[in-house]
Amino acid sequence: MQDLSQENKMISLVLYFGSMILLLEWIYPLGEVTDTGNMSVFFLYIVLCFILTASYLPVWVVSPVKFLGLLFVMDRLFYMAIPFISKDWFVQLFTDIKMNISMVISQNWLELTPSFRTILFLILLWMMSYLLYYWFAVRKKPFSFVLLTFIYLTVLDTFTVFDGSTAIIRAFIIGVAILGISYLQHILEKENVRTPVMTTLVKWVAPLVLVIGFSTVIGYAAPKFDPIWPDPVPFIQSAAENGFGDGPGNRVQKIGYGENDERLGGGFVQDDTRVFWVQAPKSQYWKVETKDTYTGKGWVRSDEGSFSESMGSIGAVGSYSELVETNEDEANIRFDNPGVLNKLTYAYGSNQVIPEASNMTFLVNSLTGEVIPRVDSEAKLPDAYQLNINRPFFPIDELRKIGENVLTQEDQAYLQLPESLPDRVIRLAEEITAEADNRYDKAKAIENYFSKNGFIYDTQNVAVPGEDEDYVDQFLFETQKGYCDNFSTSMVVMLRAVDIPARWAKGFTGGERVYNQDVFQGSQPEYEITNNNAHSWVEVYFPNVGWVPFEPTVGFSNPSNFVYGESIDDILEQEQQDLEMPEPQQPELPEDEQADEDDNGATGGIFSLSNPMKYTILGVGVLAIGLIVWLISRNRYNILGRWKRQRMARRKDVDTFTDGYQFILKVLAKNGLELKGGQTLREYASDVDRWYGGSDMSELTSYYERAIYRDESIENQHHEVYRLWNRLVNNLLS
Amino acid sequence: MTQQMMTQQNKVDLILDNMEKVIIGKREAIELSLLALLAEGHVLLEDVPGVGKTMLVRALAKSFDLEFKRIQFTPDLLPSDVTGVSIYNQKEMNFEFRPGPILGNIVLADEINRTSPKTQSALLESMEENHITVDGTTMELKRPFFVMATQNPIEYEGTYPLPEAQLDRFLLKLNLGYPSPEEEIQMLDRTSSEHPIERLGSVMHQDDLLSLQDEVKQIHVSDAIKKYIVYILNATRTHPLLELGASPRASISMMKAAKAYAYINKRDYVLPDDVKYLTKHVLGHRIIISSEAKFEGKTAASILDDIVRKTIVPIERG
Repeated sequence: MQDLSQENKMISLVLYFGSMILLLEWIYPLGEVTDTGNMSVFFLYIVLCFILTASYLPVWVVSPVKFLGLLFVMDRLFYMAIPFISKDWFVQLFTDIKMNISMVISQNWLELTPSFRTILFLILLWMMSYLLYYWFAVRKKPFSFVLLTFIYLTVLDTFTVFDGSTAIIRAFIIGVAILGISYLQHILEKENVRTPVMTTLVKWVAPLVLVIGFSTVIGYAAPKFDPIWPDPVPFIQSAAENGFGDGPGNRVQKIGYGENDERLGGGFVQDDTRVFWVQAPKSQYWKVETKDTYTGKGWVRSDEGSFSESMGSIGAVGSYSELVETNEDEANIRFDNPGVLNKLTYAYGSNQVIPEASNMTFLVNSLTGEVIPRVDSEAKLPDAYQLNINRPFFPIDELRKIGENVLTQEDQAYLQLPESLPDRVIRLAEEITAEADNRYDKAKAIENYFSKNGFIYDTQNVAVPGEDEDYVDQFLFETQKGYCDNFSTSMVVMLRAVDIPARWAKGFTGGERVYNQDVFQGSQPEYEITNNNAHSWVEVYFPNVGWVPFEPTVGFSNPSNFVYGESIDDILEQEQQDLEMPEPQQPELPEDEQADEDDNGATGGIFSLSNPMKYTILGVGVLAIGLIVWLISRNRYNILGRWKRQRMARRKDVDTFTDGYQFILKVLAKNGLELKGGQTLREYASDVDRWYGGSDMSELTSYYERAIYRDESIENQHHEVYRLWNRLVNNLLS
Repeated sequence: MTQQMMTQQNKVDLILDNMEKVIIGKREAIELSLLALLAEGHVLLEDVPGVGKTMLVRALAKSFDLEFKRIQFTPDLLPSDVTGVSIYNQKEMNFEFRPGPILGNIVLADEINRTSPKTQSALLESMEENHITVDGTTMELKRPFFVMATQNPIEYEGTYPLPEAQLDRFLLKLNLGYPSPEEEIQMLDRTSSEHPIERLGSVMHQDDLLSLQDEVKQIHVSDAIKKYIVYILNATRTHPLLELGASPRASISMMKAAKAYAYINKRDYVLPDDVKYLTKHVLGHRIIISSEAKFEGKTAASILDDIVRKTIVPIERG
């Protein structure tokens, strides 16, 4: 008997390491799909956890070692600068964790730091090493995990950039091997086979390897149909578009940058015409101008400001106080489609424009943020220009110092609201900001309000306010569906409603990163900005800092850096690391507004989320499939039971009875009372009745015995048989 | 199950109760020997002397009002001492047949392994063929005919072990074993004045027994049960610890025994439970365990238990 357990243990270990390889298959695509960096560290940690769990060392040895491993990974990734396991090291770790836990409590998910997400992820991996051990080595039921792995890989392959064609082959080989070996184990256990370890394994594994190898080769080499559905994402979108259509009275525009914002609202169609190229160290928003007066329908300017001539210095459009730390960046912009704009676009913190042509001057409007390039007193857009940027890192603790009701005379223009604005907008703004006691937190509260309350980003089905309706009021209380203009305008209006000076900013998002285009020289990343990237957002005034951008639109994140005590060097270093990541294999992707988000990660950390839309589709898909599979498998006996009950009630033949009786055996086996090989039905029935009380099983079994061993028809006893059967099934399934 | 059958079966209870008046605490052995009688088989009792083997047979004979004969096997017993012999009658001037003890209804063949193989086979052949041939004349044995042979455990001195082929002719092999202390005290109480066997009356006539035997033959054996019997028999033939498995004759015996057992338990169909229970009694003396198994301390019974525990019971028709 010792042989058997020894052999069993060995097979369990083989299965367990098979499950590890499958888990690695789960982790591997994350590198491509979610911009998770340093994948090899996670791989190593998984291997460490699995080896330790499999070592059968006592828990008090294994757990501390795994924990140490976790700390070590954290050290390599985030705290290299501080000596490992020193006092400072722990202080840093605990500060991090403390801050993040408070974010978790305030449901501020997007603000979680990469280090904290990494800790959580490592803990998840740690737990997985236990869970899989339980699944594979203790319960010995590997099928569901193998199946889930296939589903996961196919869904990822279908809905994301991840190419699963080799991963699925690997998963197939490992998965089938696991199932085969696990079946061997079941047979060994069930039949009490006692043969030396090696002979059984070899005898079993040799044909298994042959079968797997054969089917893999055939599957790989056999001709295959092209997919009928090459990339489902555009298909789903076009189906959705055709399905919903545009209601009558809806205004449909083409997306892009426009001057006139007097009447906002209505849907628009996508337009991926390129506007300009950018070369910059980081994806950021490209601002063109701001507007100050909300009319109830859209935006106008009440104060056109004044233009002053400049040779290149444009610091006037937005400089920050010395409280804001900055980093000197350089960006290059090249227009591809000059007709779209007649003003320069620039990043936050830009102070100098160096145009390609040297005879160019600029008209700079410090109030509206407009920069109009001129050659010989005539407006003319340059083909390309360089920007020197003091990229700001907004200090959150300084922003928080601005309390309530800190107002100056100049602010009045930015507190304007139309007379017609319904009171409920103001009440809502007061309600949202009631708990915050400073300007920054109030602004954050309004910024987060939309995503927390289920507002939907939609470019097609967006209402236009009627004559008596207010644009913001309609969005906030009726449609709750719209695009950037809806979100940004509403935020500005609500900020003003609680006496926070704010204005409406227009421009472009950071665009999509492109590879191998080499529009510019140098190694900095390049981005392509199209009409789809036209965007609007919010600027809030902080007297001690300046105008700070906010991003209320759901699905978008603010690319500006906010710092809360961390060192700017760390952030820059992290950005640098991200840039060095290898170029992903990007297949042709449908252009959509959401694709902008690719490089907009707020923190730019190791674990920054990207592509929220695709991510959502993926997540929802996996969850839905998982849920359906789970529900069906969980309720399969109830579903089957209902069907069998109908059959049992209707048909009186012995075959139906046999089927119904064996169904009870299955349900009992699921409940842990299995009919053992040498057990007779009578012995089994009395076991069952002893366990559950009553005598239904014995009575039913005596009818069954008569049907099977006396070859008797049950037609005359059908009523009684059905009554007993039904009662048993009801009791067992309840 | 017919009404007539029901009344007959109540008689089975009567007989069992009747026999229990004499044999104390051996319900299983009583049942099994009645089973063998009903299945028209023969029983081999292997036990130490004095545990009630003779009483068991006599009680059975008396309950059915059957003619009881006893043969004490000794090393010098001749075949003709069993079958009978023709003697020249000078007055009548012809040979006259003097029937041997085998021509009774119930025969107790005591210590069968003490006699020579020649005499043993005379008995065993007649058991199988239900007739004897003396001086060229064939004579039918009486019906019902039931042999209960006893043998001393084979390790005893001066024994001729029965060959396997001969053992195969017994339907069952039983052990009585010693009674428990309480049973033994009860036994002493009952036998203090006169042995109860002397006062034991019959509860059934021998014609009734013949009709019971006919009824047993009518018991239903489904295909599933036949399959089960074959599975078990096959398992004995392939078991690594058995040198010799059970013969096809054993399958037939198993089916007959199972029918009778079902009948005693008031059923007109055989259950797998019947087969399972009887396996060790029906097959125990028909298999030979390997020396390896003996070395490991296994017995035929424990190996059969193991086989029964692992043989899948058919739970579907056909």
